[in-house]
Amino acid sequence: MTKEPNNKANWGISYGELVWREFGKNRLSVLCLGFIVFLFVLAVLAPFLANGKPYVIRIDGRLHFPLFGALKATDYCVFLAAIIGVAQLLLIRRNRRRIDPSLRGGVFWRQISVMAFVLVGGCVAICLRVPYKLDATNYRDMVASDKATGALFAPVPYGFGEVDLAVREQPPNAQHWLGTDDVGSDVLCRLIHGSRISLSVGFVAVGISCLIGIFVGAILGYFGGKIDFIGMRVVEIVMAIPTFFLIITIVAFFPRSLFNIMIIIGITSWTGDARFIRAEFFKLRKQDFVQAARSLGLPLRSILFRHMLPNGIAPVLVNATFGIAGAIFIEAALSFLGFGVAPPTPSWGQMLSLGVSTTGRFLWWLTLFPGFAIFFTVLAYNLVGEALRDAIDPRLRKAA
Amino acid sequence: MTKNNVLLSVENLSVEFFTEDGQVRAVQNVTFDISKARTFALVGESGCGKSVTALSIMRLIPSPPGEVTAGRILFRGRALLELKERQMQRIRGDRIAMIFQEPMTSLNPVYTIGDQIVEAIRLHQKKNASQAWADAVEMLARVGISDPQQRAMDYPHQMSGGMRQRVMIAMAVSCEPSLLIADEPTTALDVTIQAQILNLLDELQKQNGMSILLITHNLGVVAERADKVAVMYASRIVEVADAGPLFAQPLHPYTQGLLRSLPRLGYTAKRLPTIAGTVPDPLHFPTGCKFHPRCPLGSDDKQCQTIEPMLREVRPGRKAACWHCPGYETEEEFKEYESKYGKHKRASVKS
Repeated sequence: MTKEPNNKANWGISYGELVWREFGKNRLSVLCLGFIVFLFVLAVLAPFLANGKPYVIRIDGRLHFPLFGALKATDYCVFLAAIIGVAQLLLIRRNRRRIDPSLRGGVFWRQISVMAFVLVGGCVAICLRVPYKLDATNYRDMVASDKATGALFAPVPYGFGEVDLAVREQPPNAQHWLGTDDVGSDVLCRLIHGSRISLSVGFVAVGISCLIGIFVGAILGYFGGKIDFIGMRVVEIVMAIPTFFLIITIVAFFPRSLFNIMIIIGITSWTGDARFIRAEFFKLRKQDFVQAARSLGLPLRSILFRHMLPNGIAPVLVNATFGIAGAIFIEAALSFLGFGVAPPTPSWGQMLSLGVSTTGRFLWWLTLFPGFAIFFTVLAYNLVGEALRDAIDPRLRKAA
Repeated sequence: MTKNNVLLSVENLSVEFFTEDGQVRAVQNVTFDISKARTFALVGESGCGKSVTALSIMRLIPSPPGEVTAGRILFRGRALLELKERQMQRIRGDRIAMIFQEPMTSLNPVYTIGDQIVEAIRLHQKKNASQAWADAVEMLARVGISDPQQRAMDYPHQMSGGMRQRVMIAMAVSCEPSLLIADEPTTALDVTIQAQILNLLDELQKQNGMSILLITHNLGVVAERADKVAVMYASRIVEVADAGPLFAQPLHPYTQGLLRSLPRLGYTAKRLPTIAGTVPDPLHFPTGCKFHPRCPLGSDDKQCQTIEPMLREVRPGRKAACWHCPGYETEEEFKEYESKYGKHKRASVKS
């Protein structure tokens, strides 16, 4: 191993850093990226930001921590994933400063595998160890009736599943900043918790579609000929299916669950990625370095995914950001139509559909706020995608 | 030359490409041997089948459309064309390595050069990452890259063409192959760098005792470096000989033409002699000898127009494929063809 201290000034810039630098030149896209990061923070910290149970409360002279007691296994899993994600990002930063570029690749994969192991193991352990506790106590009433003191509530002191028919269909007011819905749940609280659904649908669905698309596209593009001809006809058949109606049909047959929606969006929207990767691989497979890789006797797996993929991934990355926006939109539309996640789990599209109440009133706050949330999220992803495309496209980059 | 001194022998190799425009016979009946620790040069104009020959030794002919339609390639007695893809992968890079013409695009732009050499080393040798890295740095030093420790961490775009070609060579010889195929290794480089690269190849050959198949259209390079030379024209080998005799006394009219068209120091004529005409279209090769339309001897010779001469030994250690070459025809053939096609003159051989 290279033990001598290396001259860090000479480490050079990796492709990622180059793209990142170019991306940073576009103020608006950085703002949008900031908004997406903000949404992520919101989604991860949702139980702490909007919860009907207080952080601390003193009942009969004893301190209780109902909010922490009521956290579910899924919440813990989300926290774990977030911590690991941030840790990995910090590690990448640290690697970039401390570790030879030569050894980064290996170190990176080792770290990633350790992290993935911890994540999966942690989630399994959490699901096994954390019991589901139902805590139906209404702490707000206890405070109001002086049974408890010293309560410290979350900024939005309502849970997303709380039903309070006394305050149903209220416009925004001092207690409920963004109003309440048809069963008296707080809209702001549901909006915050709904961001979890939207973001996870976007990422998981696009993750699935990217995996399928890259794999299919790589095979078709590299081999060409008959395999490509047959494969492309299959891709065209899949493309010809109207995705949205297929999803509605499938959702009608399967139980209403978030995972089904993710998987269905994923397995119907990979065609774009497959076509991008195929086109890139057609171009790449004639390149000298691919020939050189073959002449070194590298196995197909390495040629396809180690040597060709990083050179052809750019359009897929860009497409993925648009895909996330699309998946969020599809989820919202499905929920709006009543095929999405089942209540009381909040989702933006589902909230939107409550805008016209059963009594026929138009509840503008139920349309406006979730609508804005969807609008800005989709817009942010699209703008980030566009900025990424510009940053990656060397024709738009000034000569270095 | 004894038989067990032969590292690679190509026997009657034919490669065809089945394109939409028709069948292209890129390589026909090519036969040659490469001896251990020697440099064998394959010379010819662009498109004459040199690179296709090299690629078929590596079994890297794009297929479809390309296909080896006949012949055998024996590498240390193993028939390469009959190996399974898996077995071939083990030979590629490890036993037979290749460097390409275009150093600017032959390295993967997204990895550091150290990474790429390490991958090649680890693929064929059981070494851990740090050992392989140390080897890669040492290889870079051996191919004459200064500050290899540092340069190993560079990306290809940070290096010049000559440096990249050195890196390619480092990568190719990192597993100490017994055969290095160099497909026009210096064509894309400027003249001073060309000499350096060729010297480097010479040095490595001396150190490792590897054979080199040097593919080039640069006769100057061949004269200096090669031990044995095969001249290809329009998919066939037209002349094979040791480098010295070939340059001193070319037998085939095509070789003669090539050598005549080289500029020489102190040459005073206004224009260099050229070979008239152009390389034939591989879709529509002329009948008979493929060189006859351009040949000063054979253009109006019925025999040359009709019957294609095969490569034959015309004198000890020299093979040629030309009816006019002295010693090519047997007496019976001469009589038979003379009665059929009339008289034809024999080539004068300058000595």
